Formats: sequence, C-alpha cells, structure tokens
Amino acid sequence: MRIIDVFSYAFSAIKLRKLRAGLTTLGVVIGIAAIVALLSITQGLQVAISAQLQRGFATDTLIVTAGGGLGGVNEFNLLVKDAQTIKEMDNVTASIAVIQRICYIRMPNGQTRRVTVTGVDFAAYREIYSSAFAAEEGEIPLNPEDDAIVIGKQVSNPWGNGTILCRTGDTLEILWTNTTARPLRNETYVGRVAAVLREIGGFTIGGPSDNRIYIPISKAQSFFGTETCEMIIVKLRNDDRATIDSAAKAIKEALGGRVSVTSSTAILNIISSVFSTVELFLAGIAAISLLVAGIGIMNIMIVSVMERTREIGILKALGMKNHQVLLIFLCEAAIIGLLGTLIGIGAGWSLAQIVLRIFGSSDRVGIIRQGNQAGVSNGITITPVLTPTVILGALVFGLTVTMVFALYPAWKASKLKPVDALRYE
Amino acid sequence: MAKTIIKTVDLRKTYMQGKIPVEALREVNLEVKEGEFLSVLGPSGSGKSTLLNLIGALDKPTGGKLFIENIDVSALNDNQLADLRMKIGFVFQFFNLIPRFTARENVELPMSIAGLSKGERRKRAEELLQMVGLASRMNHKPTELSGGEQQRVAIARALANNPRFLLMDEPTGNIDSKNAYEIIRLVKRLNEDKGVTIIMVTHDQQLATEAKRIVYMLDGMIVRETVN
Repeated sequence: MRIIDVFSYAFSAIKLRKLRAGLTTLGVVIGIAAIVALLSITQGLQVAISAQLQRGFATDTLIVTAGGGLGGVNEFNLLVKDAQTIKEMDNVTASIAVIQRICYIRMPNGQTRRVTVTGVDFAAYREIYSSAFAAEEGEIPLNPEDDAIVIGKQVSNPWGNGTILCRTGDTLEILWTNTTARPLRNETYVGRVAAVLREIGGFTIGGPSDNRIYIPISKAQSFFGTETCEMIIVKLRNDDRATIDSAAKAIKEALGGRVSVTSSTAILNIISSVFSTVELFLAGIAAISLLVAGIGIMNIMIVSVMERTREIGILKALGMKNHQVLLIFLCEAAIIGLLGTLIGIGAGWSLAQIVLRIFGSSDRVGIIRQGNQAGVSNGITITPVLTPTVILGALVFGLTVTMVFALYPAWKASKLKPVDALRYE
Repeated sequence: MAKTIIKTVDLRKTYMQGKIPVEALREVNLEVKEGEFLSVLGPSGSGKSTLLNLIGALDKPTGGKLFIENIDVSALNDNQLADLRMKIGFVFQFFNLIPRFTARENVELPMSIAGLSKGERRKRAEELLQMVGLASRMNHKPTELSGGEQQRVAIARALANNPRFLLMDEPTGNIDSKNAYEIIRLVKRLNEDKGVTIIMVTHDQQLATEAKRIVYMLDGMIVRETVN
C-alpha cells in the first residue's frame, strides 16, 4: 500500500467524524497553545530583562561594597582612595569610587525634585559603561570643569511627554542637608548641565540610571565632605570566571575581608537560572494539559477501533497486513496531532501577543523605584519571543504525545483476527 | 486435466464456545480444480462457512492440512496469509462495503492495498463496474444502492486483484429473489466466460443447483457430492 493511500484512507476516516476529530484536535490545540504561550512570554520576559541588565551591567565588572553585600550595614567605611589600591591589582583595568546621596534639586523653573546625586570619575565611568553612560545631548566632559554635571534622561524629561525641565547649558541647584554637622547645615551645589544621558531603562547595579545626576568624584568628596564612598566599581581585564574569582578574592583580602564583592556576571547568572526554573515549571504545567489531551486521543481511538472492528475485518480480508492497519490508525492520530500542534502554535503565539498587549505595557511591569544602589528607572516592554527551538519542540512534543497515546489502540486494531472482526456487530 | 487449486486433507476446526469445544469441521477432504463452479450446501451450523473462512485464509485450521496452489496454508504467518488473501476474492452475505466510499472507491480499495497507482486503480475499477452493470452508479455510496447493486459492487471488488478463485458466502442471502437471480447469472457468466473458479456457500437448494458440482455438508463433514 502506498503511503499516500494510507494517508488518504486515514483522512477519509477522520472526515467521517468531523465533530469528534475536531474536539480531539482542540485538546491538542489547547495543550500546545498553553505551552507555546507560556514559553514565548517567559522567553520574551527573559530577553527583555537581560537586555536591560546587560546595558546597566558590564559583565566584566565587580562591585565592591562595605559590609555584607548590596545595601548592607556600613560599619566599615569604604574609602575613595581604596579605589586606587584596587586599581593597582592584577587583572584590574579600572576602578572607580562612587559616592551617592539623596538630594533635592531645584530646576531652572524653580521646581524641586528628589534625586540621587552620584559622584564618579566621568572618564573611568564612561570607560566601564560605554553604552549607557553616553550623552544624547551635549557632551560628557572627560576632564570636567568645576561645575559640570551630567543628568539622566528622566531628570530632564521626567514624564516622557516632551515637557523638558532642564537641558544642556541650564544651571541646577543641588540641595543637600548635612546631617552629620551640628547644627544641621543645608548645602547648595550649583552645577551647569554639560550633558543629558540617552535613555537607559531597566535595572542597573552600579551602572548609570535615568533618574540620577552625576557630578565629578572630587566635587562630590568636597561637597558631601566625605572620604568614604558607597561602592567601588572594578573593571577587569576579561569576564572569565577564573579572572573574576581571583580578583574578587584579592580585593576582599586587600580590604581586610570587610567588604563584599559582587560580580555582575554572577547576578546575571542567578537571574537567568531563576528564569529557566520558572520557565520549566510553567512549561511543565502546560505539558500536563497536553497529557490530558493525549488521554483524550487514546479514549477516542479505542472507541474508534471498536466501532470500526468490522471495517478492519474487511480490510484484512482484502489482504491488508497488520502493520498497514497499525499505520492507518497511527496516521489518523498523526493528522490530528499535527493539525492540533500547528493550530496550537499559532494560537499560543496569538495568546502571548494578546496577554502581553494587555499586561505587558511598560508602566505595569517591573517597576521598582530607585533604591540606594539598585534602581529601575523605567518599566520594561516585553515582546513575546518564539524561537525555532520552541516551534520544533512543540511539534515534536505534540506529535509524540499523540502518537504514544494512539499506539495502544492502533496496535489493538492491527491484532484483530479477520474472522472475528468480520463477525463483529 | 485442469490443475488442482484447493486441496484439504482431513481439515479440522474446533472452536471454544466458552469452555465447551465445538467441532465445526471434522476431517474434511475436498479438492477444487481450476475453472470449477462448486457450491457447498448445508443447513446452518453444518460448518460450510467455517470451511469457506479457512479456504479464504481468514481463519486458521486446528488440524489437518489446507493447500492452496500447493502451498501449505497452515504454515503461513500473518503477513503471508495477508498476501494470500490478496489473491482470493471474497463475497460476503452482508456485502461488507465501506459505507463512506463510493462504489468505485470500494472497488479500488483492494488495489490500493496491493499498491497500484491511482490511475491504474481507477481504470480497472471502472471496467469492473461496467462489467457488473453498474457503470452509471459508480459514484454512489452503498446506502444509495439497492442490495443487489451493493452485492454487484462487492463482486467487482472481489475481482479487482485478479484472484485465483472467488469465495461466496451466501451471496444472495440478503437480496430479494429477482435481484438474486441477476447475481447468480453474473456469477455463472464469470465462471463460463472468464473461467473464474468459484466456490459458493449456500443453504438454498435451488441456488446450489446452478453450480456444476454440489457438495453437501452436515455436522462438519462432507456427506455427499453431486455433479450437474
């Protein structure tokens, strides 16, 4: 029997029971659609987040903070000059101290806003975060004049609607209350905007952010009257694991073991492994619905074999071999499985688009307001991602489940004795 | 002398009906030569259908030997039996057509199983249907055909793969007498004009006498034989 004839015979049998075949297919569609939608949403989320992370994170950097990790309690003071010590170590190509204070700024129009003022060495900071610490307007001064400041996009254009509060060349007043002085003293720093950064979006740890103001480190030291810094960002020669580990160890030792050293790569790895787990978990739940569909297929096919016992007897009486009968029934399952899977992929993809259109707009997802060291300036926009691997995987999985569950009924059909099958009423 | 096409030697078939063995055939010895038109006559339960099922390779004997063209059928496996069935034309009392297929598609089916191309199948199916007088009803489904017409489709289907012989199990049992007469005329014509070997099982005395040779069965044995 030719394979095309096997196929058309199977197809004619499916066509006869359209409603039943349709409902069976629907089971597969739902299972596959759930898997595809969940995977393309989580993958889209992962892509969006890691893209954001990679902008604010340089994989070859380490972040040194005092005490027990990011945002830990500072009993030990990290000094600005420690950056110099680190810079002279092996594998380190740059090392910069970061001073951060929450201040108020007075805009040219007299409005005041609360922002984080960050003191960094512009040239070195630029070297580490070359894509994020880049000017959209003006130019970042590498040897800054005394009053030059760089502002994030959101400081200039806080609502993203064209209302620009300040631009290059404007003068801003930074107001800071010195709480260590007695009596408390209000200090004012007058700066001229030299550059507005281009929009960064997303998370950043140590890296530039949209809602900050940057002043030269030396100015920060004198303005805030401090020798200590919140963190030191260290750029390494490369992002090999060995380099990262040995540099982290060396830095810790050099600073008496009282600092914590966080690798951006490690954070990225943790985040992506969390995503993989979530993804696997969700896909597993979706897979269960496909298994249910598989049991439905088996059920339908067992009924179908029983109903068609006589037909199988006729086919055998006409000379059809056992394996050809098996093939016909498997082919019926394959047609349903393939159809269901293809529709399911399409449906899942559409579902992902709809879900993300409803819930995935940038002002609803992932807003974490600025903290001291980690911050998100914008939400992120997620677009679903459908990789060829997911499509192929869905196809293989959908077909496999259908075929596996069809195997028993098909085998049962193929083993029927012709004389018994013909006698069946 | 025509050559022997079917030969049974002490052929036995015992069924288990629940736990009770039922001897459907006991030591049947029969020889059929090429070109014969044989009818097997007997009351229901005499074992005539069982004999036909064994000769048609639809069932396996429990004892004795069955030779079809000198091949020992009891030694064949499932696949070889299927190949053998392809060379045997079977006509059933209840037609056993596939309801969703048209007359032509039903006749094409055995050729499709045999692996013929669509073009060849179609051509031969049309020729066969023309021969049985259904040229104008080719695209009708079984439910749109009368009993006699359905049986003619079944005969055309049985002839599709140029079988060595035709086995008919009560071919007119489900057809009114006028149409039954038409069927039997067709069968005789096949035997006389085309030289098709035919074995027909029936319990109808009058129908049986249409054949050249009649075998009488009772209680699983051949009890008598007459030649017209």
